Amino acid sequence: MSTVNEQSPLVEEPASGNGKAEGHAAPRRRMTAEMMAAQQRDISVSEFFAKNRHLLGFDNPRKALLTTVKEAVDNSLDACEEAGIVPEIWVHIESTGNNRFKVGIQDNGPGIMKKTIPLIFGKLLYGSKFHRLRMSRGQQGIGISAAGMYGMLTTGKPVKIISRISPRRPSHYYEIQIDTQKNRPEILNGRGEGEDIPAGEKGHAYILEHGIEWVSHYDAAEGEKPAEVQHGTRVTIELEGRYQRGRGSVDDYLEQTAIANPHVTLHYLDPEGNRKTYPRSTQKLPPEPKEIKPHPYGIELGRLVTMLKETKATTLSQFLTGSFSRVSSSVARKICEEAKLSPRASSSRIGRREADSLFEAIQRTRISPPSTDCISSIGEELLLKGISHVVPGEFYVAATRPPAVYRGNPFLIEVALAYGGGNPVQKVTRDTLAEMLGETDARTLRQFIMTSFEGLGSDAAERILKASAMGTRQSPSKLDEAEIAKLHEAMRNVNLESGQTMQVLRYANRVPLQFSQAACAITQAVMNTNWRPYGLSQSRGGLPSGPVTVMVHMASVWVPFTSESKEAIAGYPEILKELRLALQAVGRKLGMYLNRRKRVAQEGERRNIFLRYLREVATAVSDLNGADRDGLYDKLLHVAKRKTAEADMRFDQRGRAIESPNDFGDHVLIVQSESEPEEPAA
Amino acid sequence: MAKKSPKKSSTTAPAALSKQDVKTLNSLRGLADEVVRSAERGRTPSLDIPSRSLSNVRYNKSKRFIEMGSGTNRRELFNLSQAKSYMQTLLVGSGCKQLLEQGKTTSIRGLYYLLKHTIEGSREETFDDQADCDPIIEDVEVSLDALREELHVYASNRGSMVGNILLNDSGDEIDCTRMGSGGYSIPSIVEPEIIKFAKCDAKFVLHVEKDTVWRRFNEDKFWQQYNCILTHGSGQPPRGVRRLLNRLHNELGLPVYCLLDNDPWGYYIYSVIKQGSINLAYESRRMAIPNARYIGLRSKDFTACGLSPSVTIRLNEQDVRRAKQIKTYPWFVNKKPWQQEIDLMLKNGFKLEVEALISKDISYVTEQYVPERLEEQDFLD
Repeated sequence: MSTVNEQSPLVEEPASGNGKAEGHAAPRRRMTAEMMAAQQRDISVSEFFAKNRHLLGFDNPRKALLTTVKEAVDNSLDACEEAGIVPEIWVHIESTGNNRFKVGIQDNGPGIMKKTIPLIFGKLLYGSKFHRLRMSRGQQGIGISAAGMYGMLTTGKPVKIISRISPRRPSHYYEIQIDTQKNRPEILNGRGEGEDIPAGEKGHAYILEHGIEWVSHYDAAEGEKPAEVQHGTRVTIELEGRYQRGRGSVDDYLEQTAIANPHVTLHYLDPEGNRKTYPRSTQKLPPEPKEIKPHPYGIELGRLVTMLKETKATTLSQFLTGSFSRVSSSVARKICEEAKLSPRASSSRIGRREADSLFEAIQRTRISPPSTDCISSIGEELLLKGISHVVPGEFYVAATRPPAVYRGNPFLIEVALAYGGGNPVQKVTRDTLAEMLGETDARTLRQFIMTSFEGLGSDAAERILKASAMGTRQSPSKLDEAEIAKLHEAMRNVNLESGQTMQVLRYANRVPLQFSQAACAITQAVMNTNWRPYGLSQSRGGLPSGPVTVMVHMASVWVPFTSESKEAIAGYPEILKELRLALQAVGRKLGMYLNRRKRVAQEGERRNIFLRYLREVATAVSDLNGADRDGLYDKLLHVAKRKTAEADMRFDQRGRAIESPNDFGDHVLIVQSESEPEEPAA
Repeated sequence: MAKKSPKKSSTTAPAALSKQDVKTLNSLRGLADEVVRSAERGRTPSLDIPSRSLSNVRYNKSKRFIEMGSGTNRRELFNLSQAKSYMQTLLVGSGCKQLLEQGKTTSIRGLYYLLKHTIEGSREETFDDQADCDPIIEDVEVSLDALREELHVYASNRGSMVGNILLNDSGDEIDCTRMGSGGYSIPSIVEPEIIKFAKCDAKFVLHVEKDTVWRRFNEDKFWQQYNCILTHGSGQPPRGVRRLLNRLHNELGLPVYCLLDNDPWGYYIYSVIKQGSINLAYESRRMAIPNARYIGLRSKDFTACGLSPSVTIRLNEQDVRRAKQIKTYPWFVNKKPWQQEIDLMLKNGFKLEVEALISKDISYVTEQYVPERLEEQDFLD
């Protein structure tokens, strides 16, 4: 399937004007059917996507850089997990000037066979994932080759691939270009055959000599001998792009990937030479997802017809039981009865009309929902680990829903929530801020703050600007040193708790979704959930505010994206319902925590009030009757502590003593802050 | 832990203490001893402060003044809403002790400044403003059963006096017949230790509401002509004025006549002079003058004196409410003339200030109005 046939309508009638006014004069023919036919020809997928690159996420240079990294990393992770290897990924982005970047992504995956390397990277719509129903990150087999094609179109540089299957066998090195007209790879090096790099030390020398990029050893603790990377693949693409930090950036994507994939170690070298590593928090791979057959409810008529044509089964009954999940022979019989077809009818003889009644019959027959063991969740424990590693906070909670089904596709929703901690705006260093100000394309400072930092609304931005005494409409690129310093100061010090909006991290099959937030079912579910009972403020139909990060993951054998660029999940009612239930589950725990936090604060406040006055009282008393001031103070302090402890006990309405900290149930993580209510030293 | 402020000025030699001072000091010490006792027993230190609210006063029919009941409010250190006032109470106590030991007196504002400082380890002030401090001083007075002057604290002077009386104020001779146009400023503390009556020829006391009317009488030498003492209290008379009136009445046997505005406020001033106030009910026996008489202005004066409608002031809602409340006071409820008086004012729908009489003639009030009332003995009780 390498070409798309364009069905342009033939223009037989005169195309122009209305005949009336021109009387009976025969309109001049501009084109004849023959002339048109001469122009009609095949369009290659590559050509189609080269023209429509926005469909694949290459609409602008900034997004192109991100999409390239994303496609490569997704592929690497899929490959590692399928092979059962704990993934380690290296992402290197290097600026080569002129808005060009060299992006290298390497994994420690199983490697790729010599034969298929050119096809995987040099041919669009070539892959293993499209034809099966199995939970994976990639779906179509377009991504990485499209990235290579984009690179080639913008810089003219070939895609470089090096792949290693075993330490004892030679590695393969290819430089590939895509022939867009034929949708076919073109190998440039080794006289069209690629190069083989010998194994062992000789190979390392060869790599160095030829300037091939390859990370040959893992990082090792000091004093230890670093282990060799025995297998893996590295793809290097040079493309025109734009590196910018902030929302929707490569940095953001990698950080979010680290949250949802706690079994992955990510090494990241950004274009400015900063190295960052997200170490894995578990060695355990997620359970291997099983491949399933489609469920009858999820099938469309056209697909049914195609399947009927392709099937090797001889009878209808065999076809139904063999091609679908949850169809036993008795269910098949029922369907056939319903469709008034014989179960023994030859499946290849089913015509359009019979297929139609078969389709109707399927919808009317009760078929049990698909098995759900084909989905692998991240799991509450790992969600907690992942989110607490990356998002600073004081309270974490995670919930995984049992699998459910939409349109015959099993899916599962999990949610993790982090509360507290600073906003990214408070973590940014002054130098980074200065760089970000230089890079941004925002026209006003207010816009800059809102677009560059997650979770900041216009309210918070305005407060920051007010504190720094700067105008909201000031241009971000024209600030001088002193002004940047002032802005930085304000960003660090302004209390943003109330002005902050909830940060929503969306994932589909462990891949972060970074764009089209508003169109996504996840965002809709978060906004439609009432967070007020859980202690957050929320304006009607908006995201709740507060220092909250919520991460929502949808795992499914087929994630229903609203568009090909895989940016937003479609809002099927079943999906929205599961999302709501999962969000409510974490919301309840958050509510409990916030309630208790409030109570602890009140308790601390009570004690503080007493403590504050005790010294005054002790001083006054000793002035009046000459009592020992410090001795009296200690005694009063003692009474105060006992009294407030009693008062706290009474605080619980149900007459219970203060609850122990573990009654939140499982999957909650509370980070104790260091600042306990201060006690004046005696 | 080193304390920064060297608070107590140990340099000042302790002054010679009077018997009263020693007694007051002892009760102050008692206040502190209670705290130490509670702390040692692990109990919440607390104070029982006689309640100074309407619910805790009652009208003593035989004595004819307001008395404080036995109700008390407990103020605890370990109670969120009371902790601060508890601390303030002890602070006022220690401030008073300081004054007593040094033999000095200060105004309530002075005491406020003496005690105001930032609480250690916080940004909170011991007292935010004087209004925070004044009720605490009264609390200390009632709970120690000590008078303000016994604590060496006084309020600012408000109120003046002229008339045929010779005083001795802290050793100085004061001839109240030679006080010029300003009169003798009545101090806050007028106890016999401070003010002694040397000689008095006056036959009665005329108390007027405010300074402007008082000046009229003084300028017309009313006190000379009618041989009386003339006082005013700038509206609601302060304690010093009320105590002095009480002493003039009780010690010298002078009747007290009041010339106040014809409005609920004026009625209430009369009520306070006669029966004592709710807030200072514990002082009633020293302050109240049950035999005081109300000269005017009366509701009937509008027609009786033939005043022009333009000198009237319409009663507002608050006035009406206040008048109805005063009507139900136990000391008014059984006095028919007062009920009629208030009803007439409500019926008139306006109030009259004493100054309204000036519309008749500048000296109408001194030459006609008051002399006629005194002649006819036309008073309200």
